[in-house]
Amino acid sequence: MTDERGIRVEGLVVEHPTPSGPLRALDCHEFFVVGGSSVAIVGPSGCGKSTLLGVLAGLATPTAGTVTIGSTEITSMSELTRVAFRKHAIGVVYQADNLLPFLTVFENVRLQLALSGDKQDPERRTRDLLDQLGLGPFGERLPDELSGGQRQRVAVARAIVHRPALILADEPTGALDDTNAQVVVELLTDAHRELGATLVMVTHDSAVAAGMQRVVTLDQGSIVDDCEVDHAG
Amino acid sequence: MLARYVWADLTRNPRRTLSTLVGVMLGVGLSCAVLFLVDGLSASMTQRAVAPLPIDMQRVLTDPVGGDLRLDQEINPAGPVQTGTVVRVRLGLHNAGAVAANEVVVRSEPPAGLAFVAGSATLDGDPVDAGDANPFATGPARVGMNIGTVEAGTTRTFEYEATATVAADPSTVLFRSTVSSREAVTPVDANAADPVDLTQLAIDIAALDGVAFAEQLSFADLPPNSLSSDGTTDPGAVRVFGFDPGYIDHDDTIQIVQGSHVAGAALLSAEAASKLGVSIDDTVSFELPDGTQIDVSISGIVDLSRARSLFASRQGADFETFLYVPNAVVVDSATFADAVVPAYERAATERGERVKSPPVREIDIGVERDLLDADPGTALRQTEQIGANVSKVAGQQDFLLDNISNTLTVARADAGVAKRLFVFLGVPAALLAAMLAAYAGNVLAGAQRREQATLRIRGASRRTLLLMLALRVSCITAAGSVIGVTLGYVSAVTVLGHGTLMRASTQSLVVSAAIGIVAGLLATGTALYVTGRRSIDRDINEDRARLTHRTPVWRRYRLDMIAVLLVAVATAVALSKSAFDGIPGSVYVGRSVELPLALLFLPIAAWVAGSLLAGRLFAWLLRLHRRKSIANFDRTLPFLYRMSIRRRSWAVAEAAVVVGLIVGLGTSLAVFTASYDAAKAADARYVLGSDIRISPSPASERVYRSSDRSEFQVDGVGEITPVVYGIQNVIIRSDRTSDPANLAAVDPRAYQQVAPLRDDQFVTTTATQAMSVLVEQPNAVLLNADFANFLQVEVGDTLLVLLARGTDEQVETELELVGLYERLPGFPDGADALMNIARHEATLPSTAPDFFLAQTTDGSASTLDKVVSELRDDKAADQPLHIESRATALATDQSSLAALNIRGLLDLDSAYALAMGTVTIAIFVFGLLLQRRREYVTLRAQGLQPGSIRSLISAEAGTVAIAGCLAGLGVGLIMAVYLIKVLRPLFVLAPPYQIPLGATSAIVASVLVATAITSVAASSLVNRLRATELLRDE
Repeated sequence: MTDERGIRVEGLVVEHPTPSGPLRALDCHEFFVVGGSSVAIVGPSGCGKSTLLGVLAGLATPTAGTVTIGSTEITSMSELTRVAFRKHAIGVVYQADNLLPFLTVFENVRLQLALSGDKQDPERRTRDLLDQLGLGPFGERLPDELSGGQRQRVAVARAIVHRPALILADEPTGALDDTNAQVVVELLTDAHRELGATLVMVTHDSAVAAGMQRVVTLDQGSIVDDCEVDHAG
Repeated sequence: MLARYVWADLTRNPRRTLSTLVGVMLGVGLSCAVLFLVDGLSASMTQRAVAPLPIDMQRVLTDPVGGDLRLDQEINPAGPVQTGTVVRVRLGLHNAGAVAANEVVVRSEPPAGLAFVAGSATLDGDPVDAGDANPFATGPARVGMNIGTVEAGTTRTFEYEATATVAADPSTVLFRSTVSSREAVTPVDANAADPVDLTQLAIDIAALDGVAFAEQLSFADLPPNSLSSDGTTDPGAVRVFGFDPGYIDHDDTIQIVQGSHVAGAALLSAEAASKLGVSIDDTVSFELPDGTQIDVSISGIVDLSRARSLFASRQGADFETFLYVPNAVVVDSATFADAVVPAYERAATERGERVKSPPVREIDIGVERDLLDADPGTALRQTEQIGANVSKVAGQQDFLLDNISNTLTVARADAGVAKRLFVFLGVPAALLAAMLAAYAGNVLAGAQRREQATLRIRGASRRTLLLMLALRVSCITAAGSVIGVTLGYVSAVTVLGHGTLMRASTQSLVVSAAIGIVAGLLATGTALYVTGRRSIDRDINEDRARLTHRTPVWRRYRLDMIAVLLVAVATAVALSKSAFDGIPGSVYVGRSVELPLALLFLPIAAWVAGSLLAGRLFAWLLRLHRRKSIANFDRTLPFLYRMSIRRRSWAVAEAAVVVGLIVGLGTSLAVFTASYDAAKAADARYVLGSDIRISPSPASERVYRSSDRSEFQVDGVGEITPVVYGIQNVIIRSDRTSDPANLAAVDPRAYQQVAPLRDDQFVTTTATQAMSVLVEQPNAVLLNADFANFLQVEVGDTLLVLLARGTDEQVETELELVGLYERLPGFPDGADALMNIARHEATLPSTAPDFFLAQTTDGSASTLDKVVSELRDDKAADQPLHIESRATALATDQSSLAALNIRGLLDLDSAYALAMGTVTIAIFVFGLLLQRRREYVTLRAQGLQPGSIRSLISAEAGTVAIAGCLAGLGVGLIMAVYLIKVLRPLFVLAPPYQIPLGATSAIVASVLVATAITSVAASSLVNRLRATELLRDE
């Protein structure tokens, strides 16, 4: 674990404007994630889990507070700088696969390497990863020619192919059956371990949450519980 | 509940609602605008059609001389009779005139059911020996009895008997008896009402509703040498008119250049005054056919050279031909009736032969034009009613020429053509509106997919969703209709002006609005509903696959190829049968323009087929190497762009087809508009002969010669030719026959420059060759091919031409026929022969051109205006000159179709096409945003910069716009060819194909600018989307 992969959240407030006034979606005084660890964020619907993940990914701008990933405080960055940071350092997986429908499986994954500017034998690394994830035979297929589980595995491949410091997953198994869900979770945890990346996963599934090193519970935008998971027992 | 949900959906998604509303609004707006245009222009068509008419109706006396015989008939018994009853018929013939009637024929025969009693006929009590036959109806032709001369004031009595073969009632089954004479050849019925005096007839007709004026007009043609003054006799023929001063108020082509028309005195034509050296208060004499002479004091000099009402022929063979007689005297109606008519009656009696050219006596009637402020059909009903009322006033002594109804009959047919034409020209734009609505509906249906899925999860059935769709479409179309009608009205007012539109009746405007709404709703509402329904029936995966794989219906069924084939076959058939030629309209022959309406669908078919074919070609180009990844990931953006358009080729191609359709329509309309303007200008130039025609007025003291052409050489004038021309001004004789002819003499070198001559107008040579021969060969003459056929001559034959026919200078010359032509510009009444004016002058030194044709240096409207102003201000200020330009010729085009504001309609169509093009591009770009926002946000999440996303959106939209523009330009140029071909009968000359670079560039530029603006706006929206929410949603 290194500091470059750790997350520090301080005084984070996210408010959404509504006709009846601003609605506070997130109010997180302090939240730290040790670099290279895995964290599950749980809580009831609407408690702010995805909002927190969006802010961590630099896709949403908080109303107040700071988010620092490693030594980079992303909340004070311009959009351009944040995008540049994200393409190197962050990989995101959502419940929807969000694959580009006009690119093949290979191209979808390879594109992430191109965007991150990683030129260390990208074709081979992409193929190796696809093979590793059991997607080798499907490299030339378009996303709509795959099953839901296969598409989600491609989404995982895309999120990890550029070896990000931080992997963010928002309900990655929400649309999958148990078998596929298990495969996807294993892929993410394996990647987290192999890459040494920090894994933050929003989930409703307690079994999935239990597989993480730490479980943080949110309710009405605030952290109400934060506990380590004892895997030794 | 459903209604509330739909209403909330519409009001809470204003952008989505507005996007779908636009198609409906434009569709209804355009439909209504076109129909409002037709309504507004219909009244203009009426006014335009009747404007050139100098006289609306003419009641012409059948027998102006010798119509004083009266025949009385008595039947005894007058009531019902039984079979076998003898009926006695008594006819009393009385000559109430002042002179004898000659060759008097009395005709009478019993009706069916009554048989002539053999030997019962008597004349003045003496039996008539005719055997068993009826002497009053003999032979197969039932010829009457000629009793010779009936002296003035005498009465003759005829009697005969008839036996009833069946029960009959002679009061209802009429004995028809008539009388005619050499002087009054039209049989007059027995017991006919006494003819009304022409003065009283005019008063009675003028009192009728709808009649603006009724004026007497009489004229008689006198032989050469009839007119003299102070010992000088004019050798030419003379026409004596009889009309009162009020007549001139209704005809502005009669111009008194000096003095005034005074009862008891006379007006003298400017030509006669010049030749006789007569001034105001001088006396002229004219000799009448009976040898008497009338002396009249001259109270005014008049220019009648343009008075069509006075010189238009009333004879069948030359009907409406302008047969001008330069020597004319005008006396008042009373003088004509009291002095001229009796002289003709005496001449007819004394000479013992029928007067060859009896006087023409008529009442010229003008209709209240303000009453005719309606479409030609309504106006026709009004004038026919007025005509019927006019005929009822003391009928049977004359016949009615209802010029205005005849003209309106043509105009009514023209109006029908115009409506079909307008609707036809409006159809493509209405189709576009429907396509736009369908396209918008299709794009936006994707946005409702999630909501529909949610509703289904909550238990909404397909039927419920369809009901909601119907409600939504109804709300949108209802709102679109209201806005559309308003938009249509405003558009029509903009094009026509409020005054013109208000000429249409409220009822017709309301009907048009209703039809426009129904048509617009059917087109756009159906399109919206069908696309929405398809969206409901299609599940998400299918929708996703559709974007990448599924080809459009028209592509799957090869509808584009079939349509292209059909257009090709239809074109080949139409060409082989000359179907595009149509029949041009002619007011003179009472024929409206006939457009081959069945062919009107060809341009539309070519437009749709061409656009789809272009879409197929574009998709094919995009799909080349579709699967092959050009894996240059170092250039990420071009890679993404290429992959996106290649693997979604049909989605891109369909958008390009829509843009292509719009640009195609805009291009075709621009080309047609330019060609239409050029053709109309060319038509006007052809009719006039060149840009400007300068005619010396007869009132001019100066005689212009050919060499005087240089005086008209003002700044802006190019070449000028003098022209000698007249109706039947020569007699041309061949070895076989001879005939009066209209000869034109020109400076062939200059005429070739100033007149729009075309090779296809010449039969045996080219235009250049024909004019060259006239230049090089002094005795050369060209003949109209039909006239040459009549004379039975061929090229190389010699002709004898009597120049200055009917004047004391007439002279015969020998000319050689060197070529034939079909028609020549500048002579609407036709030129039978064309010769070199130099030869004309050599033969006839006194030759004075009838007019000069001048060409402007650059042909522009501004130069034309400038030259005409200068000529009017400078040259016409010294001596009276008539100056006409191609612009005035266009303004006096007699076709009611000329009143059609086709330019306005085209502008309207173009404006709507432009609006739709812009909206389509906007919908495409925002549709792109709706469909692909998740992709764009994903790319953002993956690290693609906002600027790159903007470039990606702009590149895709730009590709669609450029492809659509290229396809549209090609298809539009082809469509314009069809439009021009189909609408060919609207023009005299074949319209030139003109491509207006400015207008077509404007269309393309507007589409490209709209693409750029909407792309920037759309990418700005993408970068403001809530990425977190979009990415996590399934």
